[in-house]
Amino acid sequence: MLIIGAGIAGIEASLMLSKADRKVHLVEKTSYTGGTTIKFEEVFSNMECSTCMVAPIQQELLQDKNINLLTLAEVEEVKGSSGKFTVKIRKKARYVDMENCIGCDACFEPCPVSLKNEFEEGLSERKAIYVPCAGALPNVPMIDADNCLRFNGKDKNCKACQEACMFEAVDFKQKDEQLDLKVGSIVAATGFDIFDPKRTPQYGYEKIDDVYTALEFERLYASNGPTEGNIVLKNGNVPKSAAIIHCVGRDEKGYCSSVCCLYSLKFNHYLKSKIPEIKISEIYTDLTIPGKSHQKFYEEMKGKEVDMIRASEIEVAKRGEEIAVKYNSGNGKKSDLLVDMVILAPAIEPNDDASKLAKILGIPLDKYGFFQEENSGGSSVITSKPGVFIAGCVQGPKNIQDSVLQASAAVGKILSSS
Amino acid sequence: MERKIGVYICECGPNIAEKVDIDKVIDAVSSIDGVAVAEKFKLLCSSDGKKFLTDQIKKQGLTHLVISACSPKDHEKTFMEVCENAGINPYLFQLANIREQCAWVTEDKAEATKKAIRLTKAAIKRVRYHTSLEKKEIEGIPDVLVIGGGIAGIEASLQLVSSDRKIYLVEKTSSLGGLITNFEKIYPGMGSGSSIIKQKIQDVNKKENIKVFLNSEVEEVIGFFGNFEVKIKKITEEGEIAEFNVGAVVLATGSTLFDPKKTPQYGYGKFDDVLTSLEFEKMNLSGEISLKTGKPPKSAAIVHCVGRNEKGYCSEICCMYSLKFVRYLKDKLPNIKVSNFYSDLCIPGKSHQKFYEQTKGNNVNFVRSSEIEITKKGEKLDINYKDETGGKNNIPVDMVILAPAIEPTSDAPKLAEITSISQGNGGFFAEEHEKINPVSTSTEGVYIVGSDQGPKDIPATMIQAEAATGKILSSLIPGRKIEPEVKTSQISESLCIGCKLCLSVCSYGAITFDETKKISVVNEVICRGCGNCVAACPSGAASIKHFNFNQLYQEIMEAVQ
Repeated sequence: MLIIGAGIAGIEASLMLSKADRKVHLVEKTSYTGGTTIKFEEVFSNMECSTCMVAPIQQELLQDKNINLLTLAEVEEVKGSSGKFTVKIRKKARYVDMENCIGCDACFEPCPVSLKNEFEEGLSERKAIYVPCAGALPNVPMIDADNCLRFNGKDKNCKACQEACMFEAVDFKQKDEQLDLKVGSIVAATGFDIFDPKRTPQYGYEKIDDVYTALEFERLYASNGPTEGNIVLKNGNVPKSAAIIHCVGRDEKGYCSSVCCLYSLKFNHYLKSKIPEIKISEIYTDLTIPGKSHQKFYEEMKGKEVDMIRASEIEVAKRGEEIAVKYNSGNGKKSDLLVDMVILAPAIEPNDDASKLAKILGIPLDKYGFFQEENSGGSSVITSKPGVFIAGCVQGPKNIQDSVLQASAAVGKILSSS
Repeated sequence: MERKIGVYICECGPNIAEKVDIDKVIDAVSSIDGVAVAEKFKLLCSSDGKKFLTDQIKKQGLTHLVISACSPKDHEKTFMEVCENAGINPYLFQLANIREQCAWVTEDKAEATKKAIRLTKAAIKRVRYHTSLEKKEIEGIPDVLVIGGGIAGIEASLQLVSSDRKIYLVEKTSSLGGLITNFEKIYPGMGSGSSIIKQKIQDVNKKENIKVFLNSEVEEVIGFFGNFEVKIKKITEEGEIAEFNVGAVVLATGSTLFDPKKTPQYGYGKFDDVLTSLEFEKMNLSGEISLKTGKPPKSAAIVHCVGRNEKGYCSEICCMYSLKFVRYLKDKLPNIKVSNFYSDLCIPGKSHQKFYEQTKGNNVNFVRSSEIEITKKGEKLDINYKDETGGKNNIPVDMVILAPAIEPTSDAPKLAEITSISQGNGGFFAEEHEKINPVSTSTEGVYIVGSDQGPKDIPATMIQAEAATGKILSSLIPGRKIEPEVKTSQISESLCIGCKLCLSVCSYGAITFDETKKISVVNEVICRGCGNCVAACPSGAASIKHFNFNQLYQEIMEAVQ
């Protein structure tokens, strides 16, 4: 079996297939497992700690002898048909030995290179040898060869990290590898990206300080994030007011991303738990909170004295020290409000490399660029290519529960047919 | 038998060695009675370390093992495997965490060393009271009971059935198919609901290994994952009971509609031509949309969110099927004027907004409204409402279609009790974990699929049926044994006072009451060792293996001495 993507959906599919005694190759592009889920401090609607929820299954994954986890790896070619695919994988060198490294972090400090940490949405710095965040699993750093002085030629003799390592785990001799695998079925679970709010300049993103995307805000609140969970403005002050703007990019994309209303409500809890007196306004169009548990959650959040404003034609501008959010309210009246911080809830969209992977797998994309389900007999995990299944946000925007369900469903399809 | 305890301290490179004076720890524990050997090693979890431990256990003839190293979350499993491979019972082992709980958090080396000594001594003390625990294996029956013959139950049955797996499909009505048989079309693809289900019913009937029980209800499910004893009863013919055993149970009993008579403002049951969504589906399927008078309606209102406030949740599918109704109406009566009265348009996901945009159009109105009241005005039904600006308004129409909330069926409480699962928000069956285990329940081997778990549409129902299939196929494999939890609860026959408190706190239905002896009895195959009964037991009769009172007491006493 080949599973592409070690986020929550890929992990679920891998563990279930392993349980059925299938040998699983789990290919992950980054150096860590858990995908986007581990970026969240808490998840709606029960406000459970997300990393605590996922860490046990990440551990299980690492200890599972049926699962061959290939990090820093990408699928390059898929040939053959259901039951007998041959797959070429390119696996980049980590330059740190997974067996010997114990994850003590001693190698980071001496590294002379500093750059923006992508995992933290660029809100903090990392070294050229690094783990993306505390608690990442596997807890083994990688060397970013593009920025490492030794590998990019700026200082071929630098071995600061190797000297700091007590376990001889830093191995400059590792090479990128090409692997050839034979698998019976493939599950693509490569997740999503968020719409870039710069494409909708009216929201002021990256023009005005303290306008954040939802993912940036998740990291600001995260206890293992760049501010250790302290919500502060760029100038170091604590915000007194915040506006959460829903549906950023919805018109451009042409669909509702299903999770933004709920995580925006969750942000109320984030803000109020850290800054009890903060004034929060939620600027939304239609409140999408389907299902048996979510309205209760909404009512709890509303109880935190949040202003729910139904609005359109939103525009964000700098006004003095503050940020002005201008909008048309439901009855067509123009209004505005002044806040210290703006959080945008951008649409969920396919990954940059979704179209490349679709081509490699030989499956079509839908009009939005998500992987197209075949929908024969009503299932959304089957594709037009027998033996290739899709799970999670690669098929369309969805929450954690629905991603896990699709992963289990893909396993159901695989096990009932072979 | 003489105890020979081996104590090994991991340096964890500099992680522990720099913060803890390991030689002092060794000195402090070497002379403890029963300790045969105390040594340090650079990195015990490495392959060299594991080999070293294995050799030591064999060479020294150790009976018990204590390791002072990292968190059990990191390497407890690693060292238990070492024990097993070296020939000692893995439960005769204790791991003291002197890294996360000591070296990493205690600045002063002397203090850290003292703490490491205490933690190591406590582990040595504890391991003396450990007993060997053996893995059990039980035969798992691969067959499955599926309750509910709607699309979810049928889909699960078709995916589960095989030459070595029988399916018992129990349906309380006289035919298979469920609600979907009423749907002319299914959004967003607008494929035919009734023809999809007809095909699937034919497939079910062709499968020899799917045994269908119509007009039947499940009376009893007793047992555990791998072996449930099931009793089902014919509803029509008194007393006819079938009995069989299965390894797993799938609940796919669907949902029903909120009764709009409970919200009299909508005029349902009072005025002609006020229909529920299901009544309208049936009318549409019959081929003709007409009023009581027999005439076709010239205008219709679709009222969303009926009963939402009463139920306290959004039923997820009403906005979308209301849009589908607009299409039904427009297909059959192209000139009809349709007004949708809604609060928030809930159309999540990649295909639904497009469906909405394609539904908008001539004579289709979307009115964001609240405080709706339906009255009779002459021949017409009058929709009185408050609009977005707070102003009162009204629109007269010929026909009203209500979109009532989705709620659990009336037999949900009974089924929950029979299968020892709980009902959660809205009375729907509760998942084991809302996010990461949404088709499993607190009873291992009992799965919930479709709208008995919460309101959902056909594609979401199908996904759940497929997901439960995945869970069952990956864990209940013909010919493979099942390994139940080893660290289970036990109840002492002599100490139990028969108060039954433990029965009320057990989430897994693992405890039964022996009426002759008047004591509680644990079924170790079902018990998952959560410890609820231990906490509740007032007489000290309940205890958990490997975490019993004495083991914990001795460990703590030694640590705080």
